[in-house]
Amino acid sequence: MPSYMLLLHGDPSAYKNMSPQEGQKALQKFLAWREKLRAQKVLVGSAKLKDEPGKVIRGAGQPRVTDGPYSETKEVVGGYFTIEARDYDAALAQSRDCPHLEYGGTIEVREVEPVPSA
Amino acid sequence: MQTSAQTQKTGELVDHLFRNRAGQMVAHLTRLLGPEHLDLAEEVVQEALLKALQSWPYNDIPENPTGWLFQVARNAALDAVRHRNLVNRKTSELMALAEMDGGSIFTSGRGLGLPGDPDFEEQLRDDELRMVLMCCHPGLSRDARVALSLKTVGGFSAREIAKAFLCEEAAIAQRLVRAKRQMHEEAIGLELPSGKDLAQRLDSALEAIYLMFNEGYAAQSGPELFRKDLCDEALRLAKLLADSSVGTPQAHALVALLAFQAARLPARLDSHGEMILLEDQDRGLWDQELLSSGFRHFGLSAEGTEISSYHLQAAIAAIHAGAATEADTDWEKMLDLYDQLMEVGPSPVVALNRAVVVSKVKGTADGLTELRSLAEEKSLRNYYLLPAAEASLLLQMGDRGEAAKLFREALKRPCSEPEKRLLVRRWAECEAIGPCFY
Repeated sequence: MPSYMLLLHGDPSAYKNMSPQEGQKALQKFLAWREKLRAQKVLVGSAKLKDEPGKVIRGAGQPRVTDGPYSETKEVVGGYFTIEARDYDAALAQSRDCPHLEYGGTIEVREVEPVPSA
Repeated sequence: MQTSAQTQKTGELVDHLFRNRAGQMVAHLTRLLGPEHLDLAEEVVQEALLKALQSWPYNDIPENPTGWLFQVARNAALDAVRHRNLVNRKTSELMALAEMDGGSIFTSGRGLGLPGDPDFEEQLRDDELRMVLMCCHPGLSRDARVALSLKTVGGFSAREIAKAFLCEEAAIAQRLVRAKRQMHEEAIGLELPSGKDLAQRLDSALEAIYLMFNEGYAAQSGPELFRKDLCDEALRLAKLLADSSVGTPQAHALVALLAFQAARLPARLDSHGEMILLEDQDRGLWDQELLSSGFRHFGLSAEGTEISSYHLQAAIAAIHAGAATEADTDWEKMLDLYDQLMEVGPSPVVALNRAVVVSKVKGTADGLTELRSLAEEKSLRNYYLLPAAEASLLLQMGDRGEAAKLFREALKRPCSEPEKRLLVRRWAECEAIGPCFY
């Protein structure tokens, strides 16, 4: 089965002004979504990236290091989920009810290139 | 990887976690940092909740979610103390404790305690109690007390409080800022007063909780008939006070009253969101757990000698709660209780309710006379239930024309939308035209 990486882009401050009740609601939605993936045994892995912009390194020899890559915008990749799905349509269907979308984020869905078999 | 059953179990652990623990965390950190840093306490609790929200969906729920939240909040507080150089006696103690714990993060909870530990939970209840009593200092206005309690103890945002009270968020935010400034200027802190001062402080807290509940139970306008979250929080705070070391029979009476009232909430709306009057409610829908909690606290309220207004109101609510059908209601006993209530805590609204009970005991005409004697009451001039109650009695007597007039009058006064729709239906009944006319 092919794997797909769901990259969650968004503005980390979107959740900042939530009251505990609102935060609780959002958390429950996320956990339910994660649980859905797990119950279907399609969740391969996931990780949260730190909200700070991070570093970008480019050029050989004496590479140049800059802050970024998104320092000029508020949108960052907040984290990713890797899931198994039959095809893009199936991967998109799994992403469609991710609460991240409800809270103003976007999800980039990319198929993971399988290692070519001999 | 956890199994699904485990996840579900942890999921239940997380249900209401933020709501229930946010206030405790703020109270705990306010004790650690000193009351002048209440804002900082709120800030770091918010930060901890945000971190959980951003990390748990990716990394699974930690084994001890509450402990995790407390530790993250304490660390954030410690960072803030260091970076902003907030030195007072309290924060110095905190820094010293952190040094003992390896200079950082309180993982062991040593010296501070971790949630789940019975002693620490006891301490948290005490922190929370002190916080409620701080926010309900009688020097603060009633509105300020309610707003502060909802914010710091109940974990409501200014936006949510504004929504509940139908005013601008900016107005609530300003009310909170002013109240905090006043607490600061008057050095209102977490110390528990004693003797007469304690009694006064408790009265002031019970009053604020009663107001909070009323606001939730009968929204004065807007789309919702009631706000269950406000009712729940008021009941939780009342219980916290009643079951604490400073609890009084009066506090138990308030818990009983609120529990009886809250028990009826599920029966007050039908599946279409339309309002159902007490006499027409399906009593099977009343919340049995709340009813029995109500009766338990009602029993505890009888331990003193004083009969407060809360005692009498709880006794009245208990009669409704104990009646299997509307016909079983002991109206005579209720009238006696209303007579006593008119002595202990008279008000035009109490008199209005009493008049309705008079109509049950002595007949519609007597009830009508009592109601009409209230016509000149200033505080009822905008109260839709006065003309609505009179209209209902007139309808019982067969005077549809006058009843219709009064339902129309009631419709001119502020009330929630489900109440408005009920009035329209009843008015349509009088006019003998179908409600579809509206």
